[in-house]
Amino acid sequence: MTEPKGQAEAVTGLVERSAAAYVSAVPGHPQDDGFFGPASVTWRISGDLSAPVAGLRSLLMQALHPLAMAGVDQHSDWRRDPVGRLAATSAYEATVTYGDRASATRVAQRVRAIHTRVRGVDTVTGQPYTATDPALLLWVHAALVDSALAASTLFGTPLAGPDADAYVGEMRIAAELLGVPPEIIPATVAGLERYIADVRPVLRCTPAAAESMGYLLDPAGLDDDIAELWQDIRDAAIAALPGWARQEYGYPAPAPVTPERRTEVRQALGVLDAVFLAEPGVLEARQRLVLRTRSAAKETSG
Amino acid sequence: MKPQSRKLAIAALAGGVSIAAVAVLRGKAGRRRTASLRVERGLTALRLVARGGARYASNAPRLFAAAGEHRQQLRNDLALQTAEDVAATLGTMKGVLMKLGQMASYIDDGLTPAARRTLSRLQDSVPPMSPELAAQVVTEELGLPPEQAFATWDPEPIAAASIGQVHRAITLDGRAVAVKVQYPGIAETIEADLGNVALLRRMLKISAPSQDVDGLLAELRERITEELDYRAEARNQQLFARYYQGHPTIHVPEIIEELSTRRLVTSDLADGARFAELATWSQAERDLAGETIYRFVFRSLYEMHAFNGDPHPGNYLFRGGGRVTFLDFGLVKHFTDDELRPLVEMVKHLCVENDPEGFRRAMVEAGFLMPDTPMPTDMIVEHMALFYDTVRERGPRTMTGEYAAAVTRRFFDFRSPLAAYAAIPRSYVILQRINLGLFALLGELSATADWRCIAEEIWPFVQAPPCTPMGAAEATWRAARRDFGEARRAVR
Repeated sequence: MTEPKGQAEAVTGLVERSAAAYVSAVPGHPQDDGFFGPASVTWRISGDLSAPVAGLRSLLMQALHPLAMAGVDQHSDWRRDPVGRLAATSAYEATVTYGDRASATRVAQRVRAIHTRVRGVDTVTGQPYTATDPALLLWVHAALVDSALAASTLFGTPLAGPDADAYVGEMRIAAELLGVPPEIIPATVAGLERYIADVRPVLRCTPAAAESMGYLLDPAGLDDDIAELWQDIRDAAIAALPGWARQEYGYPAPAPVTPERRTEVRQALGVLDAVFLAEPGVLEARQRLVLRTRSAAKETSG
Repeated sequence: MKPQSRKLAIAALAGGVSIAAVAVLRGKAGRRRTASLRVERGLTALRLVARGGARYASNAPRLFAAAGEHRQQLRNDLALQTAEDVAATLGTMKGVLMKLGQMASYIDDGLTPAARRTLSRLQDSVPPMSPELAAQVVTEELGLPPEQAFATWDPEPIAAASIGQVHRAITLDGRAVAVKVQYPGIAETIEADLGNVALLRRMLKISAPSQDVDGLLAELRERITEELDYRAEARNQQLFARYYQGHPTIHVPEIIEELSTRRLVTSDLADGARFAELATWSQAERDLAGETIYRFVFRSLYEMHAFNGDPHPGNYLFRGGGRVTFLDFGLVKHFTDDELRPLVEMVKHLCVENDPEGFRRAMVEAGFLMPDTPMPTDMIVEHMALFYDTVRERGPRTMTGEYAAAVTRRFFDFRSPLAAYAAIPRSYVILQRINLGLFALLGELSATADWRCIAEEIWPFVQAPPCTPMGAAEATWRAARRDFGEARRAVR
C-alpha cells in the first residue's frame, strides 16, 4: 500500500491526464467536421455516460489476442507509466473522433509510424507478430466498436438497430486510417458478430494479459474514493463481456444487470463524470461539441 | 461492549448569541482514532469536485466573456431544451452533488469558504432552460401558458436558482414579480439518486454501518428532499414576509400564493446590489448590512423560532443604509419551545449569569454533552468559549475571516478530549450550517459592531433597550405592531 501522498498523485494523474487528453483532442476551430461529424452516431455514442465502461471492456477484449497483447507487453511502457499509456490511447481515440480530418490523419500517421517498429515473437504462442498486421489492427478495432455497443446497451442510452449498424459502418474509417484494407472491415452489427466469432479460437488469456488486466482492474495507489467508483465501473465492464471472455480470464459470473444495478452503475458513472467535468477545459470542450451538434441538427431539420 | 464514541464530523454550534457544542456520533471504543482520521480524509470525491469546481466556475465565464456581445446568444444555444437535457445535465448524481456541495459545511471543514462558495456556484454554470422549456413548466403548473397566466412574461431568465431559474413577470393585476421555475424532472431524478445510500455513504466517506451515520444521512436527504418541493419554500417565505412586514431594514418579498406550486414560486420582485458589489461599498455601509443580517438571524431564531438555513451570499440584495432583502427560503428549520430552551439557557448561563455549572447542565439537557462526562467544567467552558467570543463582552468587535476560520476549526476538532463525550441531536444539525456561514459572511464584510449590545436587545432574558440607531428604528417598528404578540403566536 502506498502512502497517502502517492495515492493523491495517482488519482489526480488519472483524472487530470485523461481530462487533458480529451480537452486537447476537441478542436476549438476545426477546419472541417472530421471523419464523423456532429450528426454522426459515433459522436453520440462517444459522449455516452457508459463510455468509461466501454473503454475498459474494450481493453479487456483487445488483450485476449495473444499477438496484440504481446505487442503491447513487449513494446509499451505501461508498467512504468500506466496512466500515461491510458491517457495516450484516449487522446488518440478522441482526436480521431472529434478532430478535423487533418488532425485525425496526422495522429493516425504517427501511430502507423510507431507500429512499423513494433514487431517481435510472442513467447506464449511462439508466433512472430508485427503491429502493422491488418488482422491485429482489425481485432483491436472490432473490440472497441463491439464494446461501445455492449456498454451503451447495458448501462447507457442503447442505440436503435439502424443506429447500431450505422455506428459500425461509420467506424470503418477509423480502422482504415491505421491501414486495414476496407474490404475486410465489418460494416454491420451482424458482420461484426460474425467476425468476432471467427477470431474467437485464437483468443486466450496469456500471462501478459492476466498481469496487465489485473493491474487495470485494481490499479495500485488509487485514492479510496476513486477506487470505489472504479470498482463499479470494473464490475460493469466485466458484466458487459461475453461469457466466454469472462471464462478466459477466470472471472466469476457477475450478478445479473437488474434495473436497480443499472441505475447504481449509472450513478457511479455520474459521479466520475462530475469529477471529470470539473477539470479545466472539459466543460468548454463539451460545450463546443454541444453547440456543433445542435447547429448540425438545426441544419438537418431546416 | 460498552458503546463509546466513534467520531463523525458533526457538531452543532451556534454562534455568538446562542449555543455551541462539539458533537460526536457513537460507535466502537478502539476505533476512535481510525474513525476520526477517516473523517478527515472524508469527502474526497466532493473535494475533487470542489477543487475542480473552482476552475469550472472560473473557466465558464471566460468562455462567455470571450463571446462578448454574443454571450446571450451562446447561453441560448446551450440552453436545456428538453427534460432529457435536464436529466443528462443534472441526473445520475450530479444534481445531488451540487446540493451536497451547498451543504458541505454540514459535514466537513475541509473546504475553504471560497471552495464552498465555488461549489455552490456550480449550479450557476448549468445552462438555463430554453424559453420554450420554461414556458412548458409554467403551463403544466398553472394550466395556462405564461403569456396568459401573466400580463407580461419575460422569456429570458434573470437569475439561476439552485434547481431552477428566475423569470420576471407582471401579474394580471399589475404586480411586478419574480417567478422561480424548477427544471422539469429534476425533483424526480434527485429523489431517485438520493435513494442510493451506499453511494452517498461513499461520497461522504462514511464507511461503517452505524445508526448515527444513518441519522446524519437521513437528515441530509430530508433537507435536500424538502428543497425539491417549492410549496414548502413558499410557505416559509410567506411566514418571514409577514413577520418582517414594515421592518426598517429587513425586507422579505411577499409570496403570491395562487401563482406558487410545487415547481413555481412567485414573489414580489426585489432589486438591489449583490454581495460582490456590497464588498466595494464603504465600510460603514458594510457594517450596517452586517448588523441587519445579524439581527435577522437572531430575531428569527428567538421570536419566530425559525432559522433561514442558507447564509449564502447569493441570497441577499443590498439597498444601502443597512436595508437588506432576504431571498431563498428553501431551507428553513423550525424549533419547538423544548428544542430552543436549552440553547437559551446555555447562552444565559455562560454570557449573562456567568454560571459555568448551569451552562454545563444546559448542554447536557440539550443532549450536546453526555451526563457522565468526566471532564472538569472549566475545561468544557474553555473549549466552548470561542463560539461565544463575540458576545461575552461589550464593546465594538470586528468579525474577521480568521475568526470564522478559527470557529470552524474548533467546531470540527475531533482530537479534543471533549469530543468523545459530545453528541449532536439531529434537530440542531442545521444550526451549524447557519452559524458557520454567518461568521464567514460577516468575516468577509469585516463587519464591526457591538455584537454583545445587539444581542442583549434580542436575548429574551435581557431585552435591553436599543443600543444602535437601527435598534431604535426596530424598537419603533416593534411597538407599532399592535398585533405583534398575535403574529408571533401565529407563526409558531
